[in-house]
Amino acid sequence: MPRSASDGGAPRRRRNRHVFWIVPLLLLPLPLLLDPYQQYVVNLALVYVPVGIGFNVIVGNLGLLAFSNVAFFGIGAYSAGILMVRLGLPWWVALVPAALSGGVAGCAASIPALRGVRMFYLAIMTLAFGELMRWVYIRWEPVTGGSMGMALPTADLFGWALDSEARKFYVFLGLVLATIVATDRILSSRFGRAFVAIKSDELAAAAMGVPTNRYITLGFAWGGCVVGIGGAMYAALIGHLTPIAFDLTELILQFAIIMVGGLGSLVGSVLGAVVITAAPELFRDLPGFQELLFGVLIILVILFLPRGLASLLARLHPVFQDRYYRG
Amino acid sequence: MEGLLELSDVTVRFGGLTAVDAVSFGVAPGEICALIGPNGAGKTTLFNAIAGNALVDAGRIVFQGAEIQGLTPHEIAVRGIRRTFQNGGLFGHLTALENILAGLHTQIASNFCGLLLGMGRSARAEAAATARALELLALMDIAHLCDHPSDALSGGQQRMVEIVRAVATNPPLLLLDEPAVGLAPPVRDRLCTIIRRLAKETGIGILLVEHAIELVMSVSDRVIVLNNGSKVTDAPPEAVRADKDVLEAYLGRS
Repeated sequence: MPRSASDGGAPRRRRNRHVFWIVPLLLLPLPLLLDPYQQYVVNLALVYVPVGIGFNVIVGNLGLLAFSNVAFFGIGAYSAGILMVRLGLPWWVALVPAALSGGVAGCAASIPALRGVRMFYLAIMTLAFGELMRWVYIRWEPVTGGSMGMALPTADLFGWALDSEARKFYVFLGLVLATIVATDRILSSRFGRAFVAIKSDELAAAAMGVPTNRYITLGFAWGGCVVGIGGAMYAALIGHLTPIAFDLTELILQFAIIMVGGLGSLVGSVLGAVVITAAPELFRDLPGFQELLFGVLIILVILFLPRGLASLLARLHPVFQDRYYRG
Repeated sequence: MEGLLELSDVTVRFGGLTAVDAVSFGVAPGEICALIGPNGAGKTTLFNAIAGNALVDAGRIVFQGAEIQGLTPHEIAVRGIRRTFQNGGLFGHLTALENILAGLHTQIASNFCGLLLGMGRSARAEAAATARALELLALMDIAHLCDHPSDALSGGQQRMVEIVRAVATNPPLLLLDEPAVGLAPPVRDRLCTIIRRLAKETGIGILLVEHAIELVMSVSDRVIVLNNGSKVTDAPPEAVRADKDVLEAYLGRS
């Protein structure tokens, strides 16, 4: 029966989406209000926004349980790092190949899915990709610095050194906005609809003329590319790359971002990245209980908001209702 | 009439089992052709063979003068054969409108890089498709459902959306897999009208698999009866009604 959602068939699609531009505007004066450590935490949250977005395109939109995300993250970070250290490229130049190598890694990680591997089998196979990459970081010592890792020079943007947390913040904010806008454009086009159609019913998607395998690869490639950008941002933020940063714990953290934020929701990816990064900092004064409280927080969200934090926002106001996502 | 779809000696085997055995028939533009037969007669397998979801072991399937057996399902869809599914193939995560847009997928001329860069042409292609999809929903009097999640629609509404989605691109041939299953009598009547209108007004050739025999008799121009994978009869509905072989196929007399 017609609910409030229907009003005579006029397209009432998210007309007020421009209000979202208020958020970055409000964030602009942030560096004036925060001390460098707090600013670092905010920057870390920004790093995890593209990481969550890319992961969510694959898991939430394509509906494929692929755990190769840390591989994309590490490949993005190491590509940027290696190009900076070994070839002396500036960070902003290395950013492009880092994103591209993330995309290529995405294509590679889609191969098991193209062979029809799904669900837990796909999860384990793609998880192995991340572990294999960690082995590469450790063994390919002349290039990656091995298990000791490698120190990176200061990142810069057209020669403007990102030597303070505030400067990193503005550059990261711009990058994050670009990835959000780009991903939103793709998801709201026939490409995004094809992704979700594949999640709903692959046979029916093919019957609509969607070459499903090509779109699976495309989804993985875009996801990998966005996560690769996150990796390059991580390299700029931390200034030091070690294989241990790209282990299974990291994968669980990234998975928590999209679960807590909301599977299949772009807004959810952003929320999840912020909450999962900031939450442990809230409990810093309680050493020993930090992990416990963090775990409890995740359990509470999953228990009471099984569709993620995005569902809370969606209930608040229709403008937050995300495409393809129902909270 | 010139054939739109021509099957000649199509055979589909699953291991040692011959599901479809040397079946030949044709569908002309604007013709409504029904496939009937008892469970396990090979109706759905034949459907899947035409749509590219089942491998054809022998024989030829010619659509608009070109052989299509061996093509993938999406290639066949691009050539203009669209289908609906027995168990409802709507995309539950998409709204009714987005489902129609997914049906229009191959006709939307937006490209990936154009969208990324926010190019006008890609944005306009998407907007035009949305307008067209709303128009199609309005034609079926279900425009008010456009923003409803498709899995929240009633069975009848879902069937309507699925049919609109299948014909959104004006395909020359439409395959309907048990379109009437689970529908209340008034909705069935409406469905009959729509099927007839599609064929007679737009000239779409329709091949349907259906168990509801009254619907088959009232809507189709020709009825093909399958039993154990072979064609038993191919005749107008009145003739089939009187045919003893058909009764045997259904009742299993020998």
